[in-house]
Amino acid sequence: MQQKILEIKNLSKNYGETVALANFSLDLEKGEVLGLLGPNGAGKTTLISILSGTLRGFTGSVMFKGQDLFADRNLRNLIGIVPQEMAFYEDLNALENLMFWGGLYAIPEKELKKRARELLVVVELSSRAKEPIKKFSGGMKRRLNIAIGLIHKPELLLLDEPTVGIDVQAKVSILDIIHGLGQQGTSVVFTTHQLAEVEQSCSRIAIMDKGTILAQGTLAELIRIVGEKEIVEVSGEFSADAFSAIIRRSDGNGMEILSVADHRAHLAFADSERIPAMMQHLFKHHLPIADLKIKSPNLEAVFLKMTGRSLRD
Amino acid sequence: MSRTTLIIKNDIKRRLKAPMATILFLIIPLAMTALIGMIFDPGSGGETKLPPIQLLLVDHDKELASKFLIGAFNQKEVKDMFQVTTVDAASGEQLMKKGKASAMLVIPEHFSDDLADQKPTALEVVKNPSEEFLPGVAEEFAATMAVGLSAVAQVFADELKIIKSASQLELKDISIAQMTPFLEMARVKIIALQSYLSPLLLQLKASTTTKPGETAAPKGFNIFSYIMPGMLIMFLLFIVEAFMREIQNERADGKIRRMMFSPLSTRELITARLFGGWLLGVLVCFLAMGVGTLLFGIDWGNPLLVFLLVLVSCFWCAAFFGMLNAFFKNKNQAGAFASPIILVFAAFGGSMLPLEQIPQGMRWLAQFTVNNWFITGCRTIIDGGVPYLSFTVLSVSGLVFAGVAMVALQRRLST
Ligand SMILES: Nc1ncnc2c1ncn2[C@@H]1O[C@H](COP(=O)(O)OP(=O)(O)O)[C@@H](O)[C@H]1O
Ligand SMILES: [Mg+2]
Repeated sequence: MQQKILEIKNLSKNYGETVALANFSLDLEKGEVLGLLGPNGAGKTTLISILSGTLRGFTGSVMFKGQDLFADRNLRNLIGIVPQEMAFYEDLNALENLMFWGGLYAIPEKELKKRARELLVVVELSSRAKEPIKKFSGGMKRRLNIAIGLIHKPELLLLDEPTVGIDVQAKVSILDIIHGLGQQGTSVVFTTHQLAEVEQSCSRIAIMDKGTILAQGTLAELIRIVGEKEIVEVSGEFSADAFSAIIRRSDGNGMEILSVADHRAHLAFADSERIPAMMQHLFKHHLPIADLKIKSPNLEAVFLKMTGRSLRD
Repeated sequence: MSRTTLIIKNDIKRRLKAPMATILFLIIPLAMTALIGMIFDPGSGGETKLPPIQLLLVDHDKELASKFLIGAFNQKEVKDMFQVTTVDAASGEQLMKKGKASAMLVIPEHFSDDLADQKPTALEVVKNPSEEFLPGVAEEFAATMAVGLSAVAQVFADELKIIKSASQLELKDISIAQMTPFLEMARVKIIALQSYLSPLLLQLKASTTTKPGETAAPKGFNIFSYIMPGMLIMFLLFIVEAFMREIQNERADGKIRRMMFSPLSTRELITARLFGGWLLGVLVCFLAMGVGTLLFGIDWGNPLLVFLLVLVSCFWCAAFFGMLNAFFKNKNQAGAFASPIILVFAAFGGSMLPLEQIPQGMRWLAQFTVNNWFITGCRTIIDGGVPYLSFTVLSVSGLVFAGVAMVALQRRLST
């Protein structure tokens, strides 16, 4: 069996009353690209901060290549972190930034320069290496942010929401870079609150909420959790309470409630022939429905089933 | 290259890449030195003295700016030129009608507030119609002071507002473009003033063409060397403060956290920042002093002692603001407190008013300011002495502050 590069066991962290991580456990194989999917406030940034060594006051253990990550400061030099913020000097150019941030790892200058140039190619910035970063687009800045995290050739790269706030095309380019890293043998964990991203570019997906892992596996494995069901999304000007009250009056046979929120609810049907009867029931009770969507099982349905709420809520 | 030197190099390099903010902070003290120096230059030698100008002064404001203005007329050297009598509006008009004075200067109500709020305000000069020359001098002097004041009000607009309303500020927003018209106006006014006082003009020409090497010329009193140290230390404080405040910005935008991903320790980082602030201060200080020598013919005295004084003073500044930034929770606090602190230092330490002008009861406060120790140090060296006390006070308190900064900042950065 391959050695695990990362083994997180029962990690817990509170901020006063707020529970950020609760018995969080996760393993990562070498070369794996893991997408960590969780809504805002799930604890993703807290996890990355702990792994980066900048956040203390937690319980649980983290083993990196079979060793306690926090016992040996040098182990952290084998991990690269790409924080959610674009933390670099905008008054320096991309190359100068890479030289500075790499310099902190005491890489010999010549080697560092070579590495910086290689990375600029990887993140498709080599033609803009000496331009002021102020002129960069959001996507370009995100790519530089990733390059800085890679400057010391880490074996494990942790990215915190690397695609936040950029357009679709820029996102695709970043997901491609992440995918490429995995193929080169770098192990990657990236967090996101967007379903589509993990569906596309991960070898494995973990769903987390309220500080803990709810489900993990390949996309196919996860979808099997929902089973062979049809998912119905109902939206309109109704409250969660009103929806629940009406649903309770139906016989509810063969139907599973995935999530109920104000203005939107999700139902799963093992037998699609039961859908019309349920819809009739809803209309009969004058539920103001604006839109109905029928979908086949997907990651969103898994997420709804596990958390009882949609990512957007 | 060690991590500490890497950070120092990076910080200094970034400042050299965008030197405008620093250069601006250099130009202002030089310009203010020039402005004040030219006005107050008594003109040594045997030029014919002008008769004292009888000036009536009506003060409706009685605030900071009007006090400054009246103070300007009461400067030792200006006193010879003007005989100022403070009167109320009614008796002033009476006296003017009787032709008892050359001019009357009226400081309007809310003059200080309007300056601080950047609202237009005007000094009124009533001239005696029977005289031509002397009222003009009074008018020009008042106009020059007004320009000086409005330039100061522009430059310190934010600080003045803070003093008034204790709100926040962003000092780096001052642009050279905003400053230029005022400096240009000041220059024009100075030229205008000089045309009235041609002996002074001759005197100025003489003093600006003195080369530093020509010690053969008798070493007289140079008004600029009297003014510039106070200006210099005030702007050094601003420059070093802006540098040290970066820690707050970098904490807020995640750069410090990112640095901590690497093997860099907080101790290395703080050391780098203290050295960086120190180095920047020293560089700027020497540059300004050099320009002061070239422009105003200031002889700073024994170079070794000057070097030492600059070293300890800049170290003090870096350590002091390093320490303050450990106690400020965020950049807004740093922004709100740092500049007022500098202005208080300047006010009580002799940067704004010569120490002799500060009321007796408040003079003891000066010893708590770096301004006082730097200014008196400079004067001692210029006069050929050794400022042992300045060296001791600044280095000892600087070291204490650096120690506190090291401990407290480490704590601040690791949360
Ligand atoms: N410094 C902090 N102080 C107090 N609460 C915090 C702090 N950082 C995060 N939290 C809380 O911890 C939980 C997890 O936050 P975070 O890890 O940032 O989630 P995510 O990155 O998934 O959005 C949230 O409820 C958040 O409000
Ligand atoms: Mg986050």
